[in-house]
Amino acid sequence: MNIHEYQAKNILSGYGILIPKGRIAYTAGEAKRAAENISAHGPWVLKAQIQSGARESGHFLEKRAGAKGGIRRIKGRLDILEEADKMLGATLVTAQTGAKGKFVSKIYVEEYVKTIRKFYVGLVVNRMESCVTLLLSDSEDNIMETAAKFPQKILRVNLSLDEKIKPEALEKIMHFLDLPEKSQTELQNLINGMCQAFKDLDALMIEINPLGLTSSGALIALDAKISFDDNALYRQPKIVPLHDDYEEDVRALQASKYGFVYHDFENGSIGCIVNGDGLALSVRDLLYGKPEQMACFLNVKGGVDKDKISAGIKIIMTNPRVEGILINILGGFLRCNLVAEGILSAAAEVGLNVPMVVRFEGTNKDEAEDILAKSGLPVLIAKDMEQSVSKLLKAMEEAA
Amino acid sequence: MSVLLNKNTKVLVQGITGRQASFHVKRLLANGTQIVAGVSPNRGGENYLNVPVFNTVSEAVRQTKATASVMFVPAASVKDALKEAVEAELETVVAIAAGVPIRDMLEIKNILKNSKTMLIGPNTPGIITPSEACLGIFPENIHQKGCVGIISRSSTLTYEAVLETNRAGLGQSTVIGLGDDMILGTGFVELMRRFEADDKTKAVVLIGTLGGTYEEEAAAYYASLKNPKPIISYIAGSTLSFNDKMGYAGDIITQGSRTAEDKESVMRAANMKVVRQINEIHTCLKDLFL
Repeated sequence: MNIHEYQAKNILSGYGILIPKGRIAYTAGEAKRAAENISAHGPWVLKAQIQSGARESGHFLEKRAGAKGGIRRIKGRLDILEEADKMLGATLVTAQTGAKGKFVSKIYVEEYVKTIRKFYVGLVVNRMESCVTLLLSDSEDNIMETAAKFPQKILRVNLSLDEKIKPEALEKIMHFLDLPEKSQTELQNLINGMCQAFKDLDALMIEINPLGLTSSGALIALDAKISFDDNALYRQPKIVPLHDDYEEDVRALQASKYGFVYHDFENGSIGCIVNGDGLALSVRDLLYGKPEQMACFLNVKGGVDKDKISAGIKIIMTNPRVEGILINILGGFLRCNLVAEGILSAAAEVGLNVPMVVRFEGTNKDEAEDILAKSGLPVLIAKDMEQSVSKLLKAMEEAA
Repeated sequence: MSVLLNKNTKVLVQGITGRQASFHVKRLLANGTQIVAGVSPNRGGENYLNVPVFNTVSEAVRQTKATASVMFVPAASVKDALKEAVEAELETVVAIAAGVPIRDMLEIKNILKNSKTMLIGPNTPGIITPSEACLGIFPENIHQKGCVGIISRSSTLTYEAVLETNRAGLGQSTVIGLGDDMILGTGFVELMRRFEADDKTKAVVLIGTLGGTYEEEAAAYYASLKNPKPIISYIAGSTLSFNDKMGYAGDIITQGSRTAEDKESVMRAANMKVVRQINEIHTCLKDLFL
């Protein structure tokens, strides 16, 4: 689960990390009052709160929002009203949002902080070494690109969440970023604060990008992003309410409510229902070079509730891009008959108007095939994965 | 012989009285797995499905000499259940539950470091040695006893790989699902070592996925072996570019962007046979043995 910049900054501030003064605003009037409250004379920064990086270099779809991006520096108090009004209710497109962009319903109003240098700081899970890794870079480029092209520009420091950062590690970072002596305590507090937040809140990733260095040696988080471990939300009652439903694709959101995972691909016309990501990906591999591609898949995981499975199947059935459905279930924990019953009840509710091929294997396979055969639904049964793909492609060709 | 598990392995079930556990335990018993004990707090002294139940793992091990455990406990209890298993010095533990928090896994990996216990999973179908024993939720009806070992990072593709070995007419020696999660209890290498030493295993199928460098570790280990058994590998999503939408962005930042192709080329360089579609595995196996 991801949260907005203003929420992430609020959390980090609670762990002793320095952030610029700021307030959230839903209307232009609120933005003006927020600005006045923050500082008497500015300048200020207006930041569109959508969950995406590269907001500054992004652009709005609507002409009325003006040519500037999603982060705007404002000098005069009167301009706050006008600029906030332009941004609110408009659609911001960035390198990460896709062409549709994201609707801006709130902006974060901040004091402008003058800095002399900027850095990337990230704390991530290092799955291979079973620890967390702190990543630091003074490169201005996108961190993903830097990681791929110039890995030597990133300093990686493995840390334990159960200990404070060691003096040697701190020294190494001071040297790598070439920070002034007076920033050492600030750096120490920053890293310990990030680690503590990571541990307390079951984070998967905390990024401060950029971290600013001021002329007085202070380190201040100019932007912040936190991702949380969905599997740990049950023990994070303060984090759960920070979720913004509007940030998510409607179908992905629906799927997550049933404990399933929905994934959309950019092109394609085949909707796939599986009980494992690997299975979906290998079906996608099989479709490689074929006339129809995978549009989306739903992973029902080990779902054991017939009604939930039925609701999941409807998510795929009602997707207008889907012109053919491939259901591929290898039952272990999940019993195939529950999926068959789920198909029946979903079809009864929303109808089955496109070709559907089903391949069952494993737990209660025969029972499941029997349920479908007796239902009278025009569902094709395949005996293996290749056949499921070839039968569906043929049926889709005939239907077209 | 087989790997990790055979018909003589004494197995205990942690969380035996749970609803899902009972469905699968019945199946395991019917198929011959020697389940000698169940563990369920405050249920000690009972008999459940004709299996004696104990309050703690240590007590169960003392009384029954069990050496392996399959845990049907919920995700939130996996860490504590694993601690108990490690303290009782069980050799092999399988965690079935999906959804174990990453922070718990980081702690679990620390607990395992200096222990005698190997954890398989979490979020795995488990381990099966066909016609002998199963620690997990594999559908027994798809397996055939044979000579191919399977190690897989994708639970559902584990089954698919099983079907491929059947199609080749070779069957399986032992099948191990490493789990679908970000952090695995055990990676490929330790299990490759076991299969290499197992006289019943003639070849190994290795199923990888995007994210992490488990496959690269496997390739490096394989390259270090003299005259090893043949390995056929498939990486799910080989036609997909790895991005932060599908995978964990932290992987990209820590290791640089690693696509399935990167993994495949490292594996090829180590002399593994790499297939680009999962249904090519059976033809590859046939080529090896016929």
